[in-house]
Amino acid sequence: MKKILLPLLLTVTLWGYGDGVIYWAPHISHGGEHSHGDHGGSSHGKHGGHGIGEATMLHAMNLEGNSSVTLIKPDLSKEDLNLSDTTLNLPKASIGGYYALILNHHTDTQIDSAIRYLSIQGRPSKVSPSKLTALPKSDLEIVPNPLHREHDRYTASKSYRFLLHFQGKPLTNAPITLETRDTPPQTYTTDNTGAFSITLPNDFKNVQVGKSENKPSEFLLVAQHSDNNLTYKSTLTMPYSLNPNDYWQSQSYGAGAITIGFLGGLMFYRRTKKGAKNG
Amino acid sequence: MDKLLTVTALRRVVQLIAFAFFVYGAMIFTTFYTGDKLTQNLPALSCAYDMKGGDMCTLIPLQHQMDHRVSGIFTKNAKVMEALMGTLITIGTVAVLILILNKAFCGWLCPLGFFQDVFTMIGTKLGLTQLGSLSRETVNKIRPIKWFIFLFLVLILPLLTGIGFLGHEWGNPYCSICPSRIMTTAMTGDMSQIYISQANTGYFILSLIADLLFGLMVALALFVRQPFCRICPILPMQTLFKKIGLLRLVKNGNSHCDTCSSCVKACPMDIYEIQNQAENKNITHSDCTLCGRCVEFCPHDGVMSFKYGPLTLYGSSKEGFKKRTKIDKWWKG
Repeated sequence: MKKILLPLLLTVTLWGYGDGVIYWAPHISHGGEHSHGDHGGSSHGKHGGHGIGEATMLHAMNLEGNSSVTLIKPDLSKEDLNLSDTTLNLPKASIGGYYALILNHHTDTQIDSAIRYLSIQGRPSKVSPSKLTALPKSDLEIVPNPLHREHDRYTASKSYRFLLHFQGKPLTNAPITLETRDTPPQTYTTDNTGAFSITLPNDFKNVQVGKSENKPSEFLLVAQHSDNNLTYKSTLTMPYSLNPNDYWQSQSYGAGAITIGFLGGLMFYRRTKKGAKNG
Repeated sequence: MDKLLTVTALRRVVQLIAFAFFVYGAMIFTTFYTGDKLTQNLPALSCAYDMKGGDMCTLIPLQHQMDHRVSGIFTKNAKVMEALMGTLITIGTVAVLILILNKAFCGWLCPLGFFQDVFTMIGTKLGLTQLGSLSRETVNKIRPIKWFIFLFLVLILPLLTGIGFLGHEWGNPYCSICPSRIMTTAMTGDMSQIYISQANTGYFILSLIADLLFGLMVALALFVRQPFCRICPILPMQTLFKKIGLLRLVKNGNSHCDTCSSCVKACPMDIYEIQNQAENKNITHSDCTLCGRCVEFCPHDGVMSFKYGPLTLYGSSKEGFKKRTKIDKWWKG
């Protein structure tokens, strides 16, 4: 029993979100809101999920020493950006669509990268986001397969697929860790095509009724691989929202209403059949 | 084999292919993202909530434009042309699509239309008594509903939401009640759209209507032809441009038309007007889905025809009528 309880206790008490890896985190203002710039995007709030607004100020967490930041725009053009300490202010977006933000950090023995995709409203780029995800961004890379649709969002209790690439090729049987702030880390393993699927946890606290009343949370995927005496670490962070079907939307009532509608239609059938018989 | 060579059989094949594309297209043609969609303005109920869909219905951008762009004229003093540009592009795209295929988007391509047709086939095979034609009075009572839905649920309520008179739940009220949202997502294994929302009264009412309507539509489709199509707001949208459509239903009537009502009996939308006398006239009615059944079931040579521009694609004939009637009897057992 001790053998089971002790590691479990250690995992729970020592676990800290994003410990030991670099990753992108949105800036949280004192009011608890993500900071938003003039990207034309609305906040995560009242808009209800379309044209998801993105934080325009981000922090490169756990970053020490020199690094490089690259922004790949929806038209696949690249722009090098500079961090102010560990803070990044995104430049004003000229086109709408998915942006990829890549942080690379090298030491003699370790190559780290952190990736985040941002969905920003604006004039459409006319380039498919699948081309953005397919573009190599770092040696070790977690690739959304696919990245959620523009008008969708990552949602708790739903499953999503990803690929793990090492130097452009699928990395098989490799462990991937999913971390969120309120759920202990979960480890997944890539299959023989380098793919893996995660289910985002339903771990929202103090839930209010209404999508707009609840701020999104963050999930972090961490991959690690060693090759030629070098350790590669890569992270992907994205926001995820709570699933209304876990709270104020009832699917069983929905199924019940469909059944009532169906029975109503059958009653109408009985009436018309009777009417036809009676001439 | 000869049995398969009918307009209806060809239509079923096209409908099946269209259903596969519009419901599962993203899995085959990588049309997962909005920008990859074929038109993003399809005048048929291919739902944007279906994450595996190949294209999306024009009603969703239209509602969003009313809510987020057109409303800006009243709330942000936005320039009229700037606020209307998106809507004009949407309407322009629909006009081009109608020019190409006219109302055949309903009869040949709409996934929800095919879904209802399948249930009617199931009902027939289960031996349920088919209702046949609805009375003229009933049809006349039902017809205004689609205009009401189009004007209020697609245009006015989203606009009032954008202006601030209504809550966010009224931003896309038509999508909230559309049976295609439930059908297409469920067909991909995603049951998340079947729910009753308790977020507020508006969400509750809309979600309740959606589920009741879906259940009712499925049951009615077992013995009534195309029950939902009769109130679908796509029809008014198409009607705006039906005159420019290259594909059209043309009638060159004769004296038999006064007493023969084969075309009306064959029409799944119960359009009584197609029986009226017409001389080489485009009779594509607002409710017509260009399914072609009236042409198939017309027993007179050259009275009813499908035309594309100057070309006659298919015309009615005695022989065709005999063959089609025989097949119909065989199908109904």
